[in-house]
Amino acid sequence: MPGPLYKAAAIVGAAEANEIGFLKTPITALQLHIEAIKNLSEQTGVAISRIEGVFSTGWSTELCEHLGIKPKYIDTTSVGGCSFEMHVHHAMAAIHAGIIDIALVSHGENGHSANKIGGRGASNYARGAGALSPGVEMSMAYGLGSAPSNYAHAMVRHMHRYGTKREDYAHIAKVTRDWATLNPRAAMYSKEKHPFGGPITVEQVEESRVIAWPLTILHCCMVTDHGGAVLVTSPKVAASLNTKPVWLAGAGESMGHGNMLEMDDFTATSAGRSSQAAYTMAGLGPSDMEMALIYDSFTITAAITAEMLGLAAPGEGHTLWKDGHAAPGGKLPINTNGGGLSFNHSGMYGMPLLIEAYRQLSGTAEDGINGDTGKQTSARTCVVNGTGGSLSTTGTLVLVADD
Amino acid sequence: MSYDKPIPTQGTHTKPFWQGASEGKLMLPRCVDCNRVHWYPRHICPHCHSMNLEWIEGSGRGRIHTYAVQHLAFGVWAKEAPYVTAYIDLNEGDRMLTVLRGVDPEKPEDIKIGAPVVVEFEKANDDTYIPFWRVVEE
Ligand SMILES: [Zn+2]
Repeated sequence: MPGPLYKAAAIVGAAEANEIGFLKTPITALQLHIEAIKNLSEQTGVAISRIEGVFSTGWSTELCEHLGIKPKYIDTTSVGGCSFEMHVHHAMAAIHAGIIDIALVSHGENGHSANKIGGRGASNYARGAGALSPGVEMSMAYGLGSAPSNYAHAMVRHMHRYGTKREDYAHIAKVTRDWATLNPRAAMYSKEKHPFGGPITVEQVEESRVIAWPLTILHCCMVTDHGGAVLVTSPKVAASLNTKPVWLAGAGESMGHGNMLEMDDFTATSAGRSSQAAYTMAGLGPSDMEMALIYDSFTITAAITAEMLGLAAPGEGHTLWKDGHAAPGGKLPINTNGGGLSFNHSGMYGMPLLIEAYRQLSGTAEDGINGDTGKQTSARTCVVNGTGGSLSTTGTLVLVADD
Repeated sequence: MSYDKPIPTQGTHTKPFWQGASEGKLMLPRCVDCNRVHWYPRHICPHCHSMNLEWIEGSGRGRIHTYAVQHLAFGVWAKEAPYVTAYIDLNEGDRMLTVLRGVDPEKPEDIKIGAPVVVEFEKANDDTYIPFWRVVEE
């Protein structure tokens, strides 16, 4: 008897770059990708703009940005020569699941040309992607490096568009610290735990050292150590375990750009699209969410993301914190662990979001000690949003507690 | 004094840009089929996916889209801090990154989004003249 994925998907076209072999004029791997994709589009009659999922060995952000694709499914599995067969497998699963209908699997590799291009840094440049893509070529001269150096540009544009003041966003740092003081595992839990730990005021956030104006250091997340893991199973396995399940009701993903040079609207991220997909899958909306866990790399990230998730109107994201709704005891608790701003941020903060979401919705988030009320909320639904790169990529989950 | 900050590695399809820059021209890629300019330079038009692309000489004029003041910088740029970085809306469309000239990094509130800017080129080495943008009077 066939399995559930029997004939779940098909390969409908196949094409190559214009010239392959030992090319006389050296070519980048990026160009080999693009030529093959263009030829595939012409062969099949499927416009590049209709591609919904992009599968490649680490190239998917670069390809989507170069082609202007806003994908619903991104896969960069890179485990050697068999990766492409796996990409087809993963695409089949995504199509069977109803997440996408059109998947691109792409390859470009200039094993011959790579030796002829470059000189210093040849291995990177020769690929034509990542560290030395044309986008980087046209931005590397201008002294941007760290995350705050990029994100500060979005904050200035957001303030300009909505007439907000930096102090408005400082409330996010203050309230998030309040949550951290309820979490003994938070790096900034108390003065005893860290010299700069314990409660902070909006004034302190404003007056702290400037990193990339308008961002002061207390508008920025920390850089710490973190390890974490979560287990995802079928409902059948979940029923056999002693732990409480937290149900995945909806999920979505997208990206706007890789390089901030390609960010169309500095006041918006792809979380608008990724959350819409997640809400639709869940049959729930922003008003059904009883708490939120939002990657707060910077205060501005949290403010914009709250707007993208539909939790606040455009330009009003910061009011969730300023008016106390996101704070302990508020009607929409946000970042109940103390966030990347005050709990923990090792560089990529997606895992702590998942862990806190599981703890909250399974009723195991109570870390309070010595009579503190702790951080456990009564929320039964939670929207979780991770942001990657320079406000580039987003993944949204809608989670619900077990009945 | 020789140029001591990071110098872009030139790509296989961006030679016309760097050639133009060495002559004081801001060369921009434009799609022959949909007529739109894009930045950074592509192998394919990101708007209509035509591969029929050409280079045109841009006006070298634009406006500030957004900006930030870099106080914490790394490498050779650290000794320049604070300095103002900005994204520039080109008159021809699309956007470039720059280190903004003609502004006071100590007075960030005085910098105006939408202010007019013009391009200028600084020699980094014999093959590379890097575009920078300067705020000018309206
Ligand atoms: Zn075009």
